[in-house]
Amino acid sequence: MHESSSLLHTAEVVHWAALITMAAVYSLRLRWLFNFKPGADKSAPGAPHRTDKKRGANYSLFNVAMPWSMESTRKGFAFYLTFVIFHLGVVAGISLAFLSTITPSLVGKPAFALICGSTLFLAFLVAIYRVFRRLFTPVMRLISTPDDYFSLFMLTVWFGLGVVTEAHLAGVRGFESVNILVAYLFLTSFFLIYVPFSKISHYLYYPFTRIWIGRALGHRGSYPIVRG
Amino acid sequence: MSKPAKTHKIKMMEEQLAKKLNRQVVGSLVGCVHCGMCNDCCHYVLTHPDDPKMTPSYKADQVRKLFKANHDWTGSVFPWWVGADKVPLTDDDLDTLKDIAFGTCTNCRRCTINCPMGVDTATLNRIMRGLLTNVGVMPEGVRVVSKDQWELGNQMGVLKEDYIDTLEWMSEELEEELGHGGAAIPLDKTGAKVMYAINPREVKYDPRTIKEAALIFWAAGENWTMPSEGWDNTNFGLFSGDDGLGGACAKREYDKARELGVDKIVISECGHGYRSTRHEGVNWSGEAEPFPMESSVMTMLRYIKEGKLVVDPTKNNQRVTFHDSCNNARSCGFYEEPRELLRLVTTDFQEMVPNRAEGFCCTGGGGAMSMSEYTPRRLKSGEIKANQIRATGAEVVVTSCHNCVDGLGDVIKHYGLGCEVKQLVDLVANALVIDECAVMKNRPAGAPRPEPPVVPAAESDVAAARVAAVAQPLAGRRILVVDDEEDIRTFLVTVFEDAGAEVMEAADGDECIERAATFKPDLISLDLSMPGKSGVDAFVELRKTPGIQEIPVCVVTGHPEFRQVIYDRPVPAPEGYLNKPVDEGKLVSYVAHIIEIRDERAN
Repeated sequence: MHESSSLLHTAEVVHWAALITMAAVYSLRLRWLFNFKPGADKSAPGAPHRTDKKRGANYSLFNVAMPWSMESTRKGFAFYLTFVIFHLGVVAGISLAFLSTITPSLVGKPAFALICGSTLFLAFLVAIYRVFRRLFTPVMRLISTPDDYFSLFMLTVWFGLGVVTEAHLAGVRGFESVNILVAYLFLTSFFLIYVPFSKISHYLYYPFTRIWIGRALGHRGSYPIVRG
Repeated sequence: MSKPAKTHKIKMMEEQLAKKLNRQVVGSLVGCVHCGMCNDCCHYVLTHPDDPKMTPSYKADQVRKLFKANHDWTGSVFPWWVGADKVPLTDDDLDTLKDIAFGTCTNCRRCTINCPMGVDTATLNRIMRGLLTNVGVMPEGVRVVSKDQWELGNQMGVLKEDYIDTLEWMSEELEEELGHGGAAIPLDKTGAKVMYAINPREVKYDPRTIKEAALIFWAAGENWTMPSEGWDNTNFGLFSGDDGLGGACAKREYDKARELGVDKIVISECGHGYRSTRHEGVNWSGEAEPFPMESSVMTMLRYIKEGKLVVDPTKNNQRVTFHDSCNNARSCGFYEEPRELLRLVTTDFQEMVPNRAEGFCCTGGGGAMSMSEYTPRRLKSGEIKANQIRATGAEVVVTSCHNCVDGLGDVIKHYGLGCEVKQLVDLVANALVIDECAVMKNRPAGAPRPEPPVVPAAESDVAAARVAAVAQPLAGRRILVVDDEEDIRTFLVTVFEDAGAEVMEAADGDECIERAATFKPDLISLDLSMPGKSGVDAFVELRKTPGIQEIPVCVVTGHPEFRQVIYDRPVPAPEGYLNKPVDEGKLVSYVAHIIEIRDERAN
């Protein structure tokens, strides 16, 4: 077996092992979260003629796709767009890592390469902007922890390496070395293992925090938000 | 250098934090990604752009650090990695935390609804307040108010006899104005449908709103009562984070309502009172919805819709705008009813933008009015609200909250907006067409319009004296007017003399002390901000000087933000407190009432 192929095989195995580790740690995380007693609102609904817990939860959960629903995203629409691109980049990067081990032929197709590669490239640019924002905005510096910085640096590198990896898989001249893919898979493996212990695990909590606040404010009558 | 050991207070806070954790709170603690999206939603941030510490996530991080250090894996093993190494360790750190939790946030919850992750930052700040309160670290104002609410059952230290006396006073005035003997405020009436709970500010500073509410209940023909205990709908537990106090306050109201056998508690216009009584109190006290409860705004609206009240909106023809109390709108979804009511009782309503759940705080929320040490910062943060109000061109800002009345009053004065603040009860009472209301329509067929009670012949002299007393309510009284501004002094002297009082003037604190000793007034009307010896210093000296220390003092000031300064002094509080500009009628009746209470106590 070619040395780099052997390395690639190891990277693939480590990659899947990392995924299993992440899933296991996530299960423990959720178990930990759900071991806390649930908060309950015993008061009567605030505006039952208008809304309820269910409506509030749905509105809250899907407001990520409704930038007009929050002032912070309505007024900061450009920032919202960077948020969308950044997270699509994560989806593209994860997809690239797994599909490259399952169906290498798919990830090399021009259409896939164009969509995935350009998404990762845009996400890379957004990540660089975010690095600067976190480093040079006084508010962001004040609230940032080493974990915040490291997570962002890591994702920036990961996006950049993802672009190069996609170029490699699409057969672009100058990106032939299989070590590119090996490096990408090892970095993704590290990413998968690190994530449950870092702020990046926010997406695990996201549905819960959104549903809980939505239920609470829906019960009280203030979600969905009404403007006039 | 090694870190100092945790103090006992810090350890207690950590223990308390564990008790406050539930799934939702933990979700908010672990969910923040420090994205900074909450930044531009906070009125403190927007008005203090050069101070990054105003950002909501920084405030929430104070409790988040404690949580991570004690309850989170990463924080326990690698605390420096997630910021959990910067937890408070000394009692000096607690003072810093106090300033953050109490002095830079009104818990308005605007950041909460603007967080992409659904993090309830305001709740986390309230938790930090509760942890600090539990170890005795809190602003002096919060300590005083909480103590009053624990010990006296209301947050302004109103004595039971003063409360009842005020209700009687308002009953008398209402009956005189109506010329009808049946409009007195019922007290502890068992089996009534409605128990009306109020804000102690109404008793202490603005009893007119009690009279207006009584008029409305009477006109609607309601079977209602006010309780002699458990009448305070406010709850400082919401502000201090003390769930124990919160539960105790709410339970007092519920227990009294149960004792009286009423069907419903109606809560007067108070944002945090409504939230505490209607929602949070249920959770704090552990009672599952003991009674139907509603805001008086809902009650008034229903009366009009049911035809029990008939109103003429042209009686309120000034341009009005509406300020949403954060507690009402964001935490209780209570924002359409006041608008519906406003449109029924006014002719020119201009919406403030943004509004409802997206409205900005009046600056008076979260107990901020009781923390005078943070007043300059609070007033600066009011610039947002001032601009909102200015843009509407309104002459009257209407709100359904007593804290907002005070907060907006400060903002209006500070930014020179030249408008006044009213509550819906004022507008509804003013718009009433009494002859067409239920109390008139529902009287038996052919029955005459209720007339004033017939005064027996033997009582005619008393009645004549009563008429005279109404015409000159301060006849025979001596009043010392202390104010450095000559035009204000002239105004006050004229008003008091027209009401029959003998008046002496003083232009500063030294003159006040000297003339109080020689003139021996029945009451001193005292300005606070004066050159030389200030009103605050003069007040303290008055209270400490034998021979004049018993003279009632009514503060009349153009600086409502000084309110807490004077109440924080280690001497008995002033008997009255009015903000300039002051209404003549209100001034006279208020002063007469203070002197009357003094006389009753003396006898």
